[in-house]
This record gives sequence, structure tokens and C-alpha cells, in this order.
Amino acid sequence: MTALTSSVPTDVFGADERDVIRQFVDEKVRPLAEELDLTERFPAEIYAEMGKIGLFGITVPEALGGAGASPLDYLHVMEALSYGYSSVADQCGLVEIVGSLLAAFASPEQQAAYLSPLLRAEKTCAYAMTEAGSGSDLGSISTRAVRDGSDWVLTGEKIYIHNAPVADFAVVLAVTDPVKGKRGGISVFIVDLDGQGVTRAYHEHKMGQRASQVGGLVFDEARIPGEALLGEEGRAFGYMMEVLAKGRLGIAGLSLGISRAALAAATTQALDRQQFGAPIAANQAIAFPLATLATELRAAVALCTDAARALIGGDAQAAVLCSMAKLFASEGCNRHVDAALQVFGGSGFIRGYEVERLYRDARITRIYEGTSEMQRLIISRSILPRRAA
Amino acid sequence: MNIVVLVKQVPDSGSERALDSSDNTVARASADNVINEMDEYAVEEALTVKESQGGEVTVLTVGPAGATDAIRKALSMGADKAVHVTDDAIHGSCAVQTSAVIAAALSQLEYDLVICGAESTDGQVSVMPALLSERLGVPHLSGARKLTVDGTSLKVERQTDGGFWALEAQTPAIVSTWDTINEPRYPSFKGIMAAKKKPVTTLSLADLGVDAGSVGLASATSQVLDFAGRPPKGEGVKVTDEGDGAEKLVGYLAAQKIV
Repeated sequence: MTALTSSVPTDVFGADERDVIRQFVDEKVRPLAEELDLTERFPAEIYAEMGKIGLFGITVPEALGGAGASPLDYLHVMEALSYGYSSVADQCGLVEIVGSLLAAFASPEQQAAYLSPLLRAEKTCAYAMTEAGSGSDLGSISTRAVRDGSDWVLTGEKIYIHNAPVADFAVVLAVTDPVKGKRGGISVFIVDLDGQGVTRAYHEHKMGQRASQVGGLVFDEARIPGEALLGEEGRAFGYMMEVLAKGRLGIAGLSLGISRAALAAATTQALDRQQFGAPIAANQAIAFPLATLATELRAAVALCTDAARALIGGDAQAAVLCSMAKLFASEGCNRHVDAALQVFGGSGFIRGYEVERLYRDARITRIYEGTSEMQRLIISRSILPRRAA
Repeated sequence: MNIVVLVKQVPDSGSERALDSSDNTVARASADNVINEMDEYAVEEALTVKESQGGEVTVLTVGPAGATDAIRKALSMGADKAVHVTDDAIHGSCAVQTSAVIAAALSQLEYDLVICGAESTDGQVSVMPALLSERLGVPHLSGARKLTVDGTSLKVERQTDGGFWALEAQTPAIVSTWDTINEPRYPSFKGIMAAKKKPVTTLSLADLGVDAGSVGLASATSQVLDFAGRPPKGEGVKVTDEGDGAEKLVGYLAAQKIV
């Protein structure tokens, strides 16, 4: 067993697909990670190549331009890309979620205009939910969409939106009926970000996953056409539930990739670094934390695989399992980068060492796609159904 | 334009490779067998020419049954079909014999352009395109770092140590390529799926009208008589500095005729 290859299985994909993914990560992603972290730039060349290979829309049906594979293949891809660099995996995850939404609910015209070019990497997307006053409590969003003739007029501000600085279009959550609120009053719109009344507000500078472009979107009475509505009015929550579990599985996979990269870096260091006349790996103080890391990583892979298979099988517990997978893998990867960094001693605190970047990249996994606390809430409600746990 | 790409399966040059001690030929089971790296550039060039000129790309390989893996790689990159010449009698053939087999196979195919890698990472004999050129009576534009195709006219920049030679020829012709010519594409997931359905024709020596006695180890023009593993690395010399470290170092380098 080596940390250099993924232990996440595949479903539809076979050895040839796994080889291409591994080769792409080793040749194109890993060598660029340090530079991308330093410059915070959008990796356009990697993005284009991902589209050519078919890394966008892993679970989107082939007829719609996706790979036609399964959530387990998606988990494998996310883990493998994240082993290279989590910001690259995050791009795959974003397209997967927006692509899944468009595949399931967009009209054929919307799919031709947005989904097809998105999967070919000719367009970039964003998924705009979060607002200053609305994080975990999505029902409290205040961005409004008001009908005006055949158009909609959109007003509000979204923050911390992945890809906002670079995206061609965004899938935007907005209130269409304040009386109904979260019970049928929130809708989803596909919004061209270069349109009138839309401003990319700012570009955040983050602690980790720094090549992921994050910023704000301001809609100032932005006029969007009637056909910008995704699916039916008032159905936002139902649509989001469809893709939420897959999104969490994706971040679980991304967390596994960070853990594996941490394990690979730490084992190499433990064997190479000589102190007191021997490799430091000879000390159990160094070796045992790595044994724990390897064991926890394997357990996380098993749980994530289980969750992916539940999604494939349409298991009623699939969403809860995906929450468990996301919770376990993300909390794990934060411990793992810490343990790996300790093996490096002072070097691990220095820019330019991969493990220093991994330490920063890991932190957000406990927060985005639902915080660890929200995952625990979901899990607790599944085991304590009669109580408001 | 009909383009044939020659592809060879070789032991992965990144892994430990070995010869079979019973007949001094490549021990294929000793390493991962992969498409010859230089051939990936040839496949990429063939696909690029097809994209600009239209036509069809056929992969041609001579090798044991397992060589289908190398064929599938080329097909998943985008080649249209493949011909796999396989026959137990070919085992141990030298470059001259193999060129007769490939030439016979090419003679059965309609081709305007044959593209191949300039060398393989196993034998590194590097004469195959020249041998084929001689047998087929078509020009050989060797060692290309750039290929321009316009209808039936070919222009090649032949890479040299100091620069390049400009070569021109008309089709049909053979072009051999270096790894400076392009950057091979990754097979796409769609390409991998599609490759499983692409036609692969398997031909024997009899199908090609080649006498089995004219090929194989027994009548090869060259044979490996003996081989030995690389000697293990020595312990090295440790110079302890007792105020005369620099002198000792220079003395060592001088003794090794390095300085």
C-alpha cells in the first residue's frame, strides 16, 4: 500500500480512466500547485485540459455531454485531483454540482446555452447562495427577484461565491415570494455575469485553496429574461436537495486527497530526514502518528465509498451517509495535515513546503458545503428522529 | 488522407526491466508493458494531421497478444482503427526481419503517410523507418520536430544538434518524429469508451504472405549473445577533513581523471 496511488475504487471507470487521471494529476496539477497557491491565479490551462479529458460532469449523462459515470467515480476523481491540488478538485466539484442541477432541471435551450459549453470548459460557472445574513440558514436569503413583464429584476448581494471573479454565469438563489419564504418562495436563476446591473464586487484573499477564486456578486436591479428561471418557480430547496449530498461527497473526496498528500509528504520526510544518525522514521514518535493517519485515511475511504454506493443505489440513508463521509473525511484531513506537518518540524512552517500549503488548504473543508456542525445536526436528526436534536 | 501510425509496446522505461535468460530476448513479464513513449508523439501528430487534412488514422503494431493495450491507448487518443500483426514465429525477430513484416502489412493498407516515433525505448536500434523506406520505395523524412502537410506535399523540420534541416517530399512517405514535435493529448474518457468499440484487425504471417521461417530468433541478423546486470553502486569514498580536505578532494578527482 502506497500513499502515491489512490485507494478510492471506481465504478464505471476502469484502469484506463484511472491511469489518465493519475497521469494528469502527476504531470499537470502537482507541479503547478505551489505557483498557483502563491499567485492566487485561476488555472485556465488546467481548466481547459480538464474539459478535454472529460473531468467535468462526471455523473452527468453522456447524452448531455457528461462522462455518464457514477458518484463513486466522482469520489475517485475528487480524491485524485485534490491529491494534486485541492483548488483544482474544487473546480471539478463546482462544475459537477452546477452541471447536475442543469442536467436535471434546465430546459433543452438552457442546457444548450450553459451546460454543454460548461462541460467543454468553454464557460465557467458559479453557484451563488451565501449572503452576509444567510449562511447555514439558507431560508433567510434576502436577494429578491421580481417579475416585470416577461423579465425578472434581480436585487441583492451574494458573498464568498466560488468563481465569482471569473465565472461567465452563475446559478443564483433568490426570493420570488417573500410570503411563502423557504416553503416555495425561493427560486433558482441562471444569470449571465457580464449583464447589466451585475457587478463582481471584490476578490477575497484566502488562507488556503488560494487558486480558487472567491468574491462577491452584486445585483443592482439586474434585468434578466424570463427564461433565466431554472425549472419551476419556488422550487429552489427541492432542487438543491437533489445535489446537496453529491456536493458533500465531493468535499469528502477532496478531503481524502489532502490526507493522502499529507501522508505521502510525511512518509517521504520521515524516511529522508536523518537525525541522530538514522532516518527519523526509526523513532516510534514519528512512525506511530503516521500509522494512525494511514489507518484513519483508510477508514475514511471506506466510509466515503459506502456513501457513494448508497447514492448510486438510491438508498434512503444516502444523504446522511454523505454527511457522515464529509464530516469524517474533513475532520480527519485537518488532523492529518497537522500530524504530517509535525514530522517536518520547523520546515513544515516554511512557505514552499507542500505540507505547509496542505495545512492551510485543509481548514475550509470543515466549513464549506455545510459545516461540521451542520453535518452533525443532520446525522443526529437521523438517529434521534422524534426529538429536535 | 490515410495515415498509418506505427506503435510498439515496450517494457516501461521507468521500471526495472530484464532479459529472459533462456533466449536473451525481452522478458515481457518483468515490467509493465506500455506504449513506446515516442510513439505517443507520432499518434498525436497523426491526429493533428487528420484534424487539418481529414482522412483516417490507422494504428499498426507487431507484437504479442498483450500489445493490444498499446493499441487501445492509441485508439483512445483518437485513432480510428488498428491492425495488430501477431504470430508466435515473430518472437525474437531483429529489426530487419520486423521491417519485412511491417512492410508487408503496410502493403495491404492504403496509406498516404506513415508516421512513427524516431526510436523505441527498448531496443533503441532506431532504424525501422529507414528500413521501411527502403523496402517500400517511399521517401523517409526523419527525425521531425515539425511537420506541415498541405494536400500531397509534406514539409519537415529535421531536428539536428545545431538547428534543423528543411525537408520536402510528396506523399506517400514515412515521417519519423522526435518528442519535440508536439505534446501528446491525454485520452479523454469519451475516447477511452469509444476505443472499446473501434475495429482491431488481427493478422498472422500467413495473412501477410510472409514465410514464418524468414523471421524469428533462429534466422535473425542480430542476436543478443550474452548480457549482464549493471554492477551495483560502490560504497563511494568518504573524505574526512583534517585540514587537508580540499587537497584530498582534488587528489581524488585527479586520480579519476575528472580534473
